[in-house]
Amino acid sequence: MPSTKKSVVARSSAGKAVFDTINREKRFRNPPTDKTAFPALQDAIKPHVDSWNAVFKDGGCLHQAIQEIGEKTVFDRLDGNAETGYGNKLTIRIANYYLGKSMLSSRDKSAMKREIYPAECRERHTSYRGQLQLELHYKVNNGEWQKEYRDCGLLPLMVMGNRCHLENMSPKSLVDHKEESEELGGYFIVSGNEKLVRMLIVNRRNYAMAVVRSSYAKRGPTYTNMGVQMRSVRPDQSCMTNVIHYLTDGNITFRFSWRKREYLVPVMMILKALVDTNDREIFEGIVGLDQREDTFLTDRLELLLRTYKAYTLYSRHETLAYLGDKFRIVMQVSPDVSDVEVGKLFLRKIVLVNLTDDGDKFRQLLFMIKKLYSLVAGTCAADNVDAAQHQEVLLGGFLYGQILKEKIEEYLLNIRSQVRSDLMGGVKAEFNSPQYMRKMLGKVNERIGESLHYFLSTGNLSSPSGLDLQQTTGFTVVAEKLNFYRYISHFRMVHRGSFFAQLKTTTVRKLLPESWGFLCPVHTPDGSPCGLLNHLAHKCQIATITSDCSNIPPLVLTLGVHSAKVLPVPADATLSVQLDGKIIGWCSPKDARRVADSLRFYKVEGTHAVPRDLEIGYVPISNGGQYPGVYLFSQEARMIRPVKYIPLDKEDFVGPFEQPFLNIAVTEPEIQNGDSHVEFDPTNILSIVANMTPFSDFNQSPRNMYQCQMGKQTMGTPGTAIRHRTDNKMYRIQTGQSPIVRAPLYNTYGLDNFPNGMNAVVAVIAYTGYDMDDAMIINKSAHERGFGYGTVYKTEKYDLAEKSKSKSPVLAFGWGWAPIGADHNTLAKYKAMKDKYNSTLDDMDGLPMVGQRVVEGDPVAVYHNMGTGETFFFKYKGSEGAFIDEVRLLGNDVGDSICQAISVKFRITRSPLIGDKFSSRHGQKGVCSQKWPAIDMPFSESGMQPDVIINPHAFPSRMTIGMFVESMAGKAGALHGFAQDCTPFKFNEENTAVEYFGHQLKEAGYNYYGNEPMYSGITGQEFHADIYLGVVYYQRLRHMVNDKYQVRSTGPVDSRTRQPVKGRKRMGGLRIGEMERDSLLAHGTAFLVQDRLLNCSDYHQTWVCRGCGSFLATTPTVNGGEKRAEVRCRRCAVKASEFDVGKKGYWEDGLGNRFLGGNDTTIVVIPYVLKYLDVELLAMGIQMKYDVSP
Amino acid sequence: MQREGYVPPTAGGSGGGAGRSGGGGGYGDIPRQTSMKYLCADCGKAVTLNKGDPIRCKECGFRILYKERTKRMVQFEAR
Repeated sequence: MPSTKKSVVARSSAGKAVFDTINREKRFRNPPTDKTAFPALQDAIKPHVDSWNAVFKDGGCLHQAIQEIGEKTVFDRLDGNAETGYGNKLTIRIANYYLGKSMLSSRDKSAMKREIYPAECRERHTSYRGQLQLELHYKVNNGEWQKEYRDCGLLPLMVMGNRCHLENMSPKSLVDHKEESEELGGYFIVSGNEKLVRMLIVNRRNYAMAVVRSSYAKRGPTYTNMGVQMRSVRPDQSCMTNVIHYLTDGNITFRFSWRKREYLVPVMMILKALVDTNDREIFEGIVGLDQREDTFLTDRLELLLRTYKAYTLYSRHETLAYLGDKFRIVMQVSPDVSDVEVGKLFLRKIVLVNLTDDGDKFRQLLFMIKKLYSLVAGTCAADNVDAAQHQEVLLGGFLYGQILKEKIEEYLLNIRSQVRSDLMGGVKAEFNSPQYMRKMLGKVNERIGESLHYFLSTGNLSSPSGLDLQQTTGFTVVAEKLNFYRYISHFRMVHRGSFFAQLKTTTVRKLLPESWGFLCPVHTPDGSPCGLLNHLAHKCQIATITSDCSNIPPLVLTLGVHSAKVLPVPADATLSVQLDGKIIGWCSPKDARRVADSLRFYKVEGTHAVPRDLEIGYVPISNGGQYPGVYLFSQEARMIRPVKYIPLDKEDFVGPFEQPFLNIAVTEPEIQNGDSHVEFDPTNILSIVANMTPFSDFNQSPRNMYQCQMGKQTMGTPGTAIRHRTDNKMYRIQTGQSPIVRAPLYNTYGLDNFPNGMNAVVAVIAYTGYDMDDAMIINKSAHERGFGYGTVYKTEKYDLAEKSKSKSPVLAFGWGWAPIGADHNTLAKYKAMKDKYNSTLDDMDGLPMVGQRVVEGDPVAVYHNMGTGETFFFKYKGSEGAFIDEVRLLGNDVGDSICQAISVKFRITRSPLIGDKFSSRHGQKGVCSQKWPAIDMPFSESGMQPDVIINPHAFPSRMTIGMFVESMAGKAGALHGFAQDCTPFKFNEENTAVEYFGHQLKEAGYNYYGNEPMYSGITGQEFHADIYLGVVYYQRLRHMVNDKYQVRSTGPVDSRTRQPVKGRKRMGGLRIGEMERDSLLAHGTAFLVQDRLLNCSDYHQTWVCRGCGSFLATTPTVNGGEKRAEVRCRRCAVKASEFDVGKKGYWEDGLGNRFLGGNDTTIVVIPYVLKYLDVELLAMGIQMKYDVSP
Repeated sequence: MQREGYVPPTAGGSGGGAGRSGGGGGYGDIPRQTSMKYLCADCGKAVTLNKGDPIRCKECGFRILYKERTKRMVQFEAR
């Protein structure tokens, strides 16, 4: 804390907590023409955009994926021209892809601007897509490759990605294109909605993880719960998980899954297939020179080697052939490929796919076995899969690329099966004829763009392989622009996976120290997604490219590491050095430390071509801890964050793997001997939203969590381009202010562009009693000045094409444009409408007038059938009155159709009402209970009245001291006219916040501690106690009574039970449930129970037969003996003949059947469901008998 | 674009609607305009559409048109 004890000054200004009003206004009037003023915001969404770019750049993941897919072959099985015996061979492959920007289709001949910008897609409720084209190559036998370009539909594009028109645009031109000046991108536009693929936590790639999992024991007999698992990732970001299992007898099997099926192979077979090897080499690769006496290890290895002898496969060639034979069908390999080749393909596609060299795979597999035996022996601990250390983030762009890859491969397979079905169906399949090829390709489903569109709009993954993920749904979310906090949070959100949401155990949800600085400890919702839905700390970045590490292996060898290729490694070289899962050498524990330290030094220094984001995980030898070694990671999807490297006083990027083994001091004064790093700022561990909680270090921690949630539910300012947005529902506060109390990060992230609340004068006092129980009183005059005034915008699309179902337009908007013959009908409708509704559609286009008010049921648009001339209305459905704010006429893609769709934006005014929810920024929410007249409000000595009164009881149990401090700081800031820095961890015991702000208050002539004498607004008498009065930033939450209130006296009932329906939307009632009933009974208010459960529910009077006790046998008489129609019991009556006519008790039913007797009937009151129950039971052959007495 | 003066919606009188030729507020007879004026969402120019015209700006070919704010009197109960 600066020593400003004597003079009051705002804390230093540069990029700090200042209002900066002039610059802000200037920026608004003239958006920058070069670059954004808030690069930090851009960095916040970077993982999304960069991952997209990494996939779709030249030589990016998708190009690599296409290479990886390779060739597919099919034979015509026609003899005659057979070399191989399978006939002609058609080989197909995708050589390249082209993805265009979003453009008008070529069918539109007249438009001058051919680009489709994102704003148009939002306004027209369409998707932002570009043309995807695949370059298909095919050859027949060994002929030339033939080229064919295939259009594969429109692929949704990421806004601000490298296929977006907006990429690299200046704020000025963004505004010109109807975007926010700080448009961030990172999402897709799907049917007008902004959708993003959310980040998902997955296992760390290319690291052999020791896992103990009870489900492993269920793989089969003798399987144990121990295994070593490695998630290998190819350069195209698709992945394959390999697991080796420990069996009770000491054996090891290798498991993988291929197209959602699991396969088990003896690990020895894989080893022998990888390289030409012998048992000795394998033995030496696993048992180090120092372990020769370790009988636990040698026993098991002996068994491993011996049991494999049963297969009698000796050479690599034999093993490959054996594997190839077994997996030929599974891998769908062309029949002309030899078994050995299939075996090689198997190794390439399945075994440790991150490595390309078979020797590397061999060594890594040996290492995995070593680690597994170590785990079994208990010399190393299992790795915690739930810790950030062993996790990485699956980014949206990469997932998108993986799905695209699968769809492209599927396309090739579809071509193959099309050819096969042609051959089966007797079509003359001449591979050499271009006509046949084109015809055949025309029959194949080429709509790849469509399937990606489906993925984005539903979030469902339909994939033959499952992409090695544990879930198939919930990959995408709508980026709601409720307010900016919520919006930006969507992009910083990391989900653990919906699979873990169902888990009974809570271990996955725990906050672990490993996530320090990577995942925000505060910003997670409470309730079911707690701990599963995390947010990235605001300085946390995610790597999206593989750094160039070509110099690392030679460099490491110069540092005293022994090459991995020389066996056996020296006795002291017990630790492996691995780079992205490739063993580059072995070294002694002492050397390992030196290697790691030197690498780090070079890395931060920027020398020896060590990339700056290389993760140098040095795991030291421990007593049964994590398996030691030096693990280097350079690839994508890692979380990294900046910290200061003390030896060089420079920025270093650390990752979650290395962090547990680094000594990182939190603040400079805390640096101890041996600390290599220090945090730049202790607030770096918090997310963007958590950082906006003022003085959060003064609050009890759950309150800060609540604020993170409520900040995201605030009615704020979604943006400045509201005019060009068509969100289904959008909230907006009209009188947003810039908070007086703010963290400097508020300015860094440019949050003044999106105000989220109002500075309110708050008195903490139990005044009228209307502030009991978290209620708050709002000053009526403050309300009238616009405190908390908000608006809700709703957009409705009215589409005629959806209604008519035919391709050419049948329906059209408008009044008198219906055919003349239909005039009569139209006229009648028009008259009826004029009589009935208070809104009129007087404009000839049949569309609502902009500025008009509509209430429920009013017509918003009128349309007619052009054939029949029938006229219809679209009606306004909302329950509140709304104003027509905007009306858009939406053309079709080509622009050649008459108006078939309109989009109407309704504006609903929401001035604060009693029952609306407000909150300060400290998890202190409350409901407005009164709008108290200003004359009756208490006032201070200077004549100030509070805008808001809250009850002192809100504080003792919640301990939100931060709110008190904010109140003081806000008051001082308002008095002196400067913004206050509220960054947490700035004050301490010596230098307290109260002292700092108290002094400022004192200088302004106010009470040191922020309390003031106040006077009752009603009597004018001074209160006995001084009242705590200050300025607190208040948020208005989106939960408003108007959306919640539910009343009903009578209303709709369920047709089957005749009980009131449920649901606010359907005008239903509130259920008196079991517990409510209990309490009524406990009060002895039996009549209330009867009133609620019978009289006001399904009260029903019915006839019952006293004799047989049945409802269902009673039937009305028609023309019986008595004149009056009566109800008799059909069951108790006896059949009568014509001679009985006129006898006592004679009656006839509706069919003319004659009866005698059964007149012991009466009317009873029952709940109607009872009758229903009776019928249901009857259907099951159960009779109910009611004892009716007296 | 110049603002047309406010005309009270009397029966038979010409309403304030843009580009209208027939009566507007008249109770009973159907208003008989033949064209309406809109604003192009891209270039901002006024676009006059007749019955059966495709939705597109005549100047720039843009596919979204905004309806102008009504020039009729809009009156609400101020409560």
